[in-house]
Amino acid sequence: MSDFKINFRESANANIVDLKGYLDAHTAPELENALQKLVNNKQYNIVVNCKNLSYISSAGLGVFMAYIEEVRKNKGDIKLTNMSPKIFNVFDILGFPLLYEIYNTELEALQKFTNH
Amino acid sequence: MLLALVFNVIQKNIEMEAYALTLFKDIAVIVGFTALFLFIKLYWKRESFPLKRLVAILILSVLVLVITLLISQILPAEFETKSYQLIPIYFSSIIVANAVSTVLGVGAIIILLLLKDVIFHKRRSYTGRNFLFLIIGLIAASISTVDLSPYESRTVSYLLYGVLILLILLNSFRLSWIVYLSKKEKILTIVYSFFLFALFIGLKINISESANIGKYLLYYSFPLKIFIDGTFLFGAIYFGIAFIGTLFHLPTAEAFDRKMSEVSSLHYLSKLVTQVFDFEELVNSVTGMTLQVCEAKSSWLEIIQTQAETIAYNNGFRDSNHSVLIVANRNIAIDEIEKINSTSQKIESDEVDSIRKALINEKKPIVIDNTLQDKRTKHIKEFDIKIGSMLVVPLISHEQLIGILYATKDIEYGFDREDVEVISAFADQAAIAIDNSRLIEKSLERERLVREMTVAQEMQKKLLPQRLPTLDQIELEALSTPAFEVGGDYYDFVLLDNNKLAIVIGDVSGKGVSAAFYMAEMKGIFQSICNIYPSPKEFITRANQAISSSIDKRSFISLIYAVLDLDTGVVTSARAGHCPFLVASKNGISYVRPEGIGIGMGASTTFERYIKQEETQLRYGDVCVFYTDGITEAMPPEGEEFGYARLMEVVRKNYYKSALEIRDEIIHAVNQHMKNKSPQDDITIIILKWLKN
Repeated sequence: MSDFKINFRESANANIVDLKGYLDAHTAPELENALQKLVNNKQYNIVVNCKNLSYISSAGLGVFMAYIEEVRKNKGDIKLTNMSPKIFNVFDILGFPLLYEIYNTELEALQKFTNH
Repeated sequence: MLLALVFNVIQKNIEMEAYALTLFKDIAVIVGFTALFLFIKLYWKRESFPLKRLVAILILSVLVLVITLLISQILPAEFETKSYQLIPIYFSSIIVANAVSTVLGVGAIIILLLLKDVIFHKRRSYTGRNFLFLIIGLIAASISTVDLSPYESRTVSYLLYGVLILLILLNSFRLSWIVYLSKKEKILTIVYSFFLFALFIGLKINISESANIGKYLLYYSFPLKIFIDGTFLFGAIYFGIAFIGTLFHLPTAEAFDRKMSEVSSLHYLSKLVTQVFDFEELVNSVTGMTLQVCEAKSSWLEIIQTQAETIAYNNGFRDSNHSVLIVANRNIAIDEIEKINSTSQKIESDEVDSIRKALINEKKPIVIDNTLQDKRTKHIKEFDIKIGSMLVVPLISHEQLIGILYATKDIEYGFDREDVEVISAFADQAAIAIDNSRLIEKSLERERLVREMTVAQEMQKKLLPQRLPTLDQIELEALSTPAFEVGGDYYDFVLLDNNKLAIVIGDVSGKGVSAAFYMAEMKGIFQSICNIYPSPKEFITRANQAISSSIDKRSFISLIYAVLDLDTGVVTSARAGHCPFLVASKNGISYVRPEGIGIGMGASTTFERYIKQEETQLRYGDVCVFYTDGITEAMPPEGEEFGYARLMEVVRKNYYKSALEIRDEIIHAVNQHMKNKSPQDDITIIILKWLKN
């Protein structure tokens, strides 16, 4: 399998997580660790940039579900951005757009955090 | 028989004093003792351990010496010497002569046979031949004196006696058994052979012509005297040489002992390699043997664990990047081991590795000659641990450090180069054994998992409908193939009370046993509440209520619940995050995709508002295709997903065919797309064809 990479960036009011490659049952624990780290550091404003994400399995989707509750309880959010149509379709079929904020660009997501 | 015969001959001899009778007497004695020899040999039991033979010879020769001395002291030989002849003065002397000679003769025969066992130890092809020559020489020397009077002599006899001495010398260098004795046994051998040497000299002097016993013997039979004399000479020479030989072997005895114990330990360990079913026993043997091989005071074995094993055991402790588990310890407590491996960095300005860490880095044997001077171990004094020297060797298997073996001694400089070599060789063997033991454990574990999987698989098969409902209004086909042993796909049908058919198709996120459990739960819910909540939206909401409390927050179930009215052909459906289903008719084809989220995704209070319900009217010949994402996400290596467009195209082209044909066309298309590689996800399809106007 192709590998999976996570990169962290910080903006003024949010942490940006860049995802790259295949997010499946094997690589999902990496994303889980990444989100856990942010939550441990009380970083609840999270933007996940899916620009370079080429595949996501149900295990990958499950990782977001695992943290959304805690993040929102702390008045933060996980916002998803820059999805390719194919990736968006996976999120869409499961109903993610009904529960999560999904934006075309990172900027939109960051602005949403600023407005709050 | 023997005694009676000899007796008679002698009695007559006295009365007649005839020369000719000596010949008959000698022949009778020779025949008699040869018979005796063969008789004893017939019942002889060979003994392979030479030391036991030495003890037997010692006891026997002492016995013979004591008996003959006793007799000669109580009843001194009183003979008249007349023209080379011995004439007994008293009749009792004749009886004494008979008794003494018989004792000596039998003793000599047994001693000869005992000696033979010693000489034949580790025999070579010529050993038997040489010994046979010795016996022949002995008998020849004896026979040559037939018919001689006690004080006569014959040149041939002297010559043969000379040859006999040579043969004795030849046989006396058969001492190879000494080499294989341990040091303790060698010391015993020196003592024994010294006494045996002295005893045989004593016996030989005792039977000389001038001594009492010698006179009795000479009177009794000259050939027998030569035979006994030769045997005693053999004994004296043999044990004389054995004494000297063993003495020379003594300095090397310790080294030899050591080699022998090394050989036997390695042999023992190579046996151990096969006893790998009990890990505990194996590691205990390894430390136990270490103590034996290099005579160490204490020994322990540590296993380097992989990360997975650390999690599994969870009782190891971590030493930098390696987690180490002490699996066996001998004569040393675990906390002492930990103290030895702790480093007192406070004292040292620069960082000092513990002995364990040093070995992990070097992966080579480490010898600490003096623990109090080595900076890696000098801190043990603070803990009052008394260890003089230490040897630490790595256990390496497949170029990976899998363990560390330690040995300690009280004395300084306790481990020499040979110890290091032997323990290293030992460690190599142990590494193989431990590795094998782990492999077996792993394969047993795997087998157990496979068995569990088989059970789950069987269970799952039973959860899927065993028989599809047969109805006049529809044609129904379904297929579900798990990609792994246990899949997460589920489908089911229930004929509802009001002439409606409930259809459910779902996919549990995750695979394996946990997925099978959720699937079982789903089936329970479906079978029990579909009649109570026939409306799809309500059903999905209730199902979420029931499941969301028990499901892991990372997991979810996607499903479509559809109810077909068998009277009107209306399909009412709701979708919980599942792949939209296809409806194909002569007018066109489209995905039906009511809004919704997966079960387990939202809080049960707000869940309902996300679920929408849709109605679709079916006409004659229309086809519904329900499926799981195993179809649309089927992706060959280096290719793209099968996708919604391809699926739609296949159904569009084939919708007029029978349900079974449509199903097979889809499977065929997916297989072709996968280039006949097996799909990575479970695949489930339901084809429903409406056949009512």
